[in-house]
Amino acid sequence: MASEPSDSTASVELTAHKILIAGGFGAGKTTLVSAISEVRPLLTEEPLSAASVGRDNLRGLPNKTTTTVALDFGRITISDSLVLYLFGVPGQERFWFMWDELAYGALGAVVLADVRRLDDCFPSVNYFETRDIPFIVAVNCFDDAPRYDLAEIRLALDLDPDVPLVLTDARQQASVKNTLIRLVESIAAADGTLPASTRALTAGR
Amino acid sequence: MPEQWVRRDSGPVVRPYAVTGGRTEPVDGEVLDVIAVVVAMPGVGSDDDDPQRRTPEHSRILALCQRQATVADIAAGTRLPLGVVRVLLSDLILSGAVTVLRQRPAGTRPGNDVLQEILNGLRAL
Repeated sequence: MASEPSDSTASVELTAHKILIAGGFGAGKTTLVSAISEVRPLLTEEPLSAASVGRDNLRGLPNKTTTTVALDFGRITISDSLVLYLFGVPGQERFWFMWDELAYGALGAVVLADVRRLDDCFPSVNYFETRDIPFIVAVNCFDDAPRYDLAEIRLALDLDPDVPLVLTDARQQASVKNTLIRLVESIAAADGTLPASTRALTAGR
Repeated sequence: MPEQWVRRDSGPVVRPYAVTGGRTEPVDGEVLDVIAVVVAMPGVGSDDDDPQRRTPEHSRILALCQRQATVADIAAGTRLPLGVVRVLLSDLILSGAVTVLRQRPAGTRPGNDVLQEILNGLRAL
């Protein structure tokens, strides 16, 4: 793809990858996505309750209401042909049916944790663990939150040793960028696809 | 303060699935991934003759498909909910106006070269 001469961008086929941003309500998903996205578009979904899903199902159901869910959605252009999408997955339980669809084919996920409400991110951690979707846990460093040792947090989360645990500041672009880099590095390392030299080079960052 | 019936930021007044004729699933049953890449077929413009009786929403989507776009991009660009965009896009795909360039395959992780390209791109931010 990259080796082909591209005299016009229209001839380059676009590839998109998605990374999910999960975590409890108020963990900083919206902040994180806005800190790094090149645009701030609005994305909505109008979920229907499971009982009503089906063709033409709104006909004859005048009282059926739909609730608009605003999805955090970010876009990072890597190149002419490669775009990275970030999707904040709604944390509330009633929106969980949307997760499978968003998680389908996802590159990986960042689970945002708030040390003051650590158990809020358990469902997200469980979700990605059971579905074998690569993820990292990023502890969002809120100004007024107590500081804990990362080892303590890892213990409290009962996190697999292979799952990276990092500190992040969801407000800072540089911090969010490093968090995403850690995620992609861990995916590459798990696949064994990155040469060892590259891993050594990036480990010190 | 006088009560306003409709505020500018309150979104469309028409209920979302009205523009699909009440349909909530694509005609062919295939659900497009949120990052599936679609593009208008060459020569199909948004202001063409209207053999399939396109709605204004179909035309708006077709306009955004003049260059390669993801389903998420189109939903954001038209301010229509994802589910609505999927239904309308499937109409355009079935009528031959739009084609799917890339539907994400299940369970395939990108290779070394793609991950490296993503890493390089992120580091360059």
